[in-house]
Amino acid sequence: MQRLIKRFGVIALAAVLIAAFAWVALTQGPMAPPKVVLSEVREGALAPQAFGIGTVEARFGYAVGAVQAGRLARVLVDQGDVVKRGQVLAEIDPVDLDERLAAARSALERSRHSADTAAAQVGESKARQQMAQASASRFGDLARQGFVSGDAVDAKVAEADATRASVDAAASALAAARQEINRANADVAGLAKQRTNLRLVSPVDGIVTAREAEAGNTVVAGQAVIRVIDPASMWVRVRIDQGRAAGIAPGQSGLIVLRSRRGEALPGKVVRIELQADPITEERLVDVAFDQPPAGWSIGELAEVTIEMPKVDVGLFVPSQAVQRRGQQAGVWRIEERRARFVPVKPGASTLDGKTQILDGLRAGDRVIAYSEQALQQDMRVRTVTSLAGAGK
Amino acid sequence: MINLAGRDIVHHWGRYAFTGFGLGLLIGVTLSMAGIYRGMIDDAQALLNGSGADIWVVQKDTLGPYAEPSNLRDDVYRDILGLAGVRAAANATYLTMQIGHAGLDVRVMVAGFEPGQPGEPHPLLAGRPVARSHYEAIADVKTGFRVGDTVRIRRHDYTVVGLTARMVSSGGDPMLFIPLKDAQEAQFLKDNDAIRNERNRVADNPAFNRPGVPGLLEAVQASQTSSRSVNAILVRVADAAYAEQIADEIERWKRLTAYTRADMEEILVVKMIATSARQIATFLVILAIVSAAIVSFIIYTMTLGKIKEIAVLKLIGTRNRTISAMILQEALGLGLIGFMVGKVVATLWAPYFPKYVLLLPGDTLSAFFAVMAICALASLLAIRTALKVDPAEAIGG
Amino acid sequence: MGKKMAAEKMNDVPAIQIEGLTKRYGSGPTAVDALKGVDMTIWPGEVVGLIGPSGSGKSTLLKCLGAVIDPTAGRIQLGGETIFDGEWKSRDLRALRRDRIGFIFQAPYLIPFLGVTDNVALLPMLAGRPNPEARKHAVELLQDLDVAHRAGARISELSGGEQQRVAIARALANGPPIILADEPTAPLDSERALAVVRILNRMAVQSRTAIIVVTHDEKIIPTFKRIFQIRDGRTQEMAGEGRAVA
Repeated sequence: MQRLIKRFGVIALAAVLIAAFAWVALTQGPMAPPKVVLSEVREGALAPQAFGIGTVEARFGYAVGAVQAGRLARVLVDQGDVVKRGQVLAEIDPVDLDERLAAARSALERSRHSADTAAAQVGESKARQQMAQASASRFGDLARQGFVSGDAVDAKVAEADATRASVDAAASALAAARQEINRANADVAGLAKQRTNLRLVSPVDGIVTAREAEAGNTVVAGQAVIRVIDPASMWVRVRIDQGRAAGIAPGQSGLIVLRSRRGEALPGKVVRIELQADPITEERLVDVAFDQPPAGWSIGELAEVTIEMPKVDVGLFVPSQAVQRRGQQAGVWRIEERRARFVPVKPGASTLDGKTQILDGLRAGDRVIAYSEQALQQDMRVRTVTSLAGAGK
Repeated sequence: MINLAGRDIVHHWGRYAFTGFGLGLLIGVTLSMAGIYRGMIDDAQALLNGSGADIWVVQKDTLGPYAEPSNLRDDVYRDILGLAGVRAAANATYLTMQIGHAGLDVRVMVAGFEPGQPGEPHPLLAGRPVARSHYEAIADVKTGFRVGDTVRIRRHDYTVVGLTARMVSSGGDPMLFIPLKDAQEAQFLKDNDAIRNERNRVADNPAFNRPGVPGLLEAVQASQTSSRSVNAILVRVADAAYAEQIADEIERWKRLTAYTRADMEEILVVKMIATSARQIATFLVILAIVSAAIVSFIIYTMTLGKIKEIAVLKLIGTRNRTISAMILQEALGLGLIGFMVGKVVATLWAPYFPKYVLLLPGDTLSAFFAVMAICALASLLAIRTALKVDPAEAIGG
Repeated sequence: MGKKMAAEKMNDVPAIQIEGLTKRYGSGPTAVDALKGVDMTIWPGEVVGLIGPSGSGKSTLLKCLGAVIDPTAGRIQLGGETIFDGEWKSRDLRALRRDRIGFIFQAPYLIPFLGVTDNVALLPMLAGRPNPEARKHAVELLQDLDVAHRAGARISELSGGEQQRVAIARALANGPPIILADEPTAPLDSERALAVVRILNRMAVQSRTAIIVVTHDEKIIPTFKRIFQIRDGRTQEMAGEGRAVA
């Protein structure tokens, strides 16, 4: 009896070993069929979104600077100051411009006086001319009466002609003097304009975002001294991969998360898709404006933007990881008689939380392979399990 | 007819099983060593398989991107896409670095990929594919990360959204996949101190810092911090038969170096891991020899323990043949148990090794025949000893 | 002599016949002659004693008879058949031992990993008899020896006397015509020793087996009818007391 028990025990032990060995050989290792996890095709609403990162920028930003080289005399505003349209922000040193303006003004005065003088001379020469004319006619009368010689008459006539000429001369001198006034006026106006240019004024109501030069710095033509933006025009210039930018349109709402304020999602709207894309980085540039300008903004700060694209109210969808490619064809893997089969499908939009719409090729309730241990081949034996790896939270 | 071996085994079943188990552990260790060797080779091939590429295009005259550093401009892929026979061409970056997570440092290879292109990791084990263009990552399970974890790479935090398996570098480091642009930045954009330093250097250079040319300095500084390089271009061809041809064309016309799958295997398996592989192979050989010696010793000792009974058997008329059969059968039985135990324990403890251990059925079969052969040979020695026993010793002086 | 005639009536052929058996160990000047011409005739059914001091060649004689060592010269006949005359006639000495000679040792020397029954049935099974038949015969022998009730026990659980009886059964199992017993009663007390002798006598008569018992046990020597004394390699037959054992 004891021997029987011993015999039985030994056989049982041997059986355990053989069973363990068989299990190991058949189910583990590279010959074992890979494990897969299935998922169902569901019907429901999809909310596709587009994601990109962008920088906070102002739609309208102005670089206020000099049109000619000079030295800054004064800078009147600083970063953060609110300015009004027309407000003087800085002044470039006029150097001798004021003096030249004064000189021009004096020249203008002088030309006016010269014109007065010329006008007086015209009067004077006119008067002389009248007198000479009267004298000439009187002498003519007298010559007809034989009281004076013909020479005397000629002489008076000549005098009358001479005075006539000097009237003309005086008149043209007056005209010249008048032109001189115009010129002097224009000079003054020109210098005054130059003087104005040396005052840098704000073109809009806005906020100063940068003060790029200080009093005493030399600036060249074209160099910005003060940068002003219109804060109401602030938006995020978002870069979206060209491949994922289909379907974005102005008017769509979005959520903006500033790098400095990660917990807050600020609402915004797509204002414009720029006509010029970035061919180097292969991105489209989408401008998303804040609904409310955020407190504490900085131009150039990075932000993450999620844009809501048109919802799909009712559609079939599968988890995005179920959609694979074989060559050029998109499809899913299904199981038929415990073997993997590739079924071509037509995928639609994808959401950021991992759902992909299926336009054609599957029905609601169909089961597809979502996860697998290794790449699948057509007709490969597979084993279904409920999960493959720790999913964390 | 009676089976003496069976009787002896059943009588001493505890000792026999224990010996078989011990032998099995030894065989298991030897099998694991072979598995480590195979695993190393498989790691290199897994890397090549996982990238989904038929041709690797790298910087001219380098063995990159895995064996040597390689840098390319990131717009070169467009030229390659235009070649006949090329189905897909995509940029890829690879950077091996330490990442801190939950207090531990994990050594990973950070790979940059573009969705839908060669280099994208699939299939997944859990989670979902990368959907956002930045700051999402797919990690290999060997990193220890789980879906939902946050890891920091250089300047940004990335959320692990999916897990994958057997995506490892040729050295066995698990891979972490992030969007290409992020990967470029991680590899090529320096830290802030270095950037400031560079900016200052450029600002000190009068050629770039001209007061008469506003905007020049900023433009030069911006060009310095733009990351426009990648490590390799992964190419998939329409017909694998033409891969060699297309690779040659790329080399000839584009002034780059292109490797086919066979070339890459040569580089990785033969050149890169050759020394480690030889190291392990040498150890494997020694281990096998030692195992054979220990098996022989065990069988010899088992026989010596029965020497008295063998003498008696011989004296009362048991044939040499019968006694030899008993010893041989016990030796083979021991080998069989040892082999089965060895295979079971090697399979059970394989997942606990930090690097991949691949137990191939072919190796298992070879091991079986080797174990049986060694046991048979070892039993020869024991049989010789047994047969030399003088039965007369049973009859006392 | 009378016994011989009685034996002759039953059977003409001696179970064992030895003539001029010599055994020399070594060669040259250092050679030792353990047996120097031994003559012996034993009839079936006899139980004879072989006594002598240690070193006298008792064991050597048994080893020669048991075909365990090679005699130097002489002739050995078993059941009329010459098995040695200067050289062994049979190639297969093991078969000879298995089928023609039974051994009983000083210690039982049972095979521990075979059970009681199988220890006894071993030789018949090795000789080719079907297992169930061999085992049945073994059990019968064990019954005869009054130890069948221990058939299911492990060898290590048997007492010395029980083990010795199993050993005797083993020696008898294959029905050998002769049995060589080497100090079978050495470890036993007088009662047990006499019991062994009783069994041997009974078995000898029952199966017509010739039994040579090498012994120096004073307790059993009187029971032998024939005694051979061996000294310095030579034997001399003496008349035994033949005291009956109950």
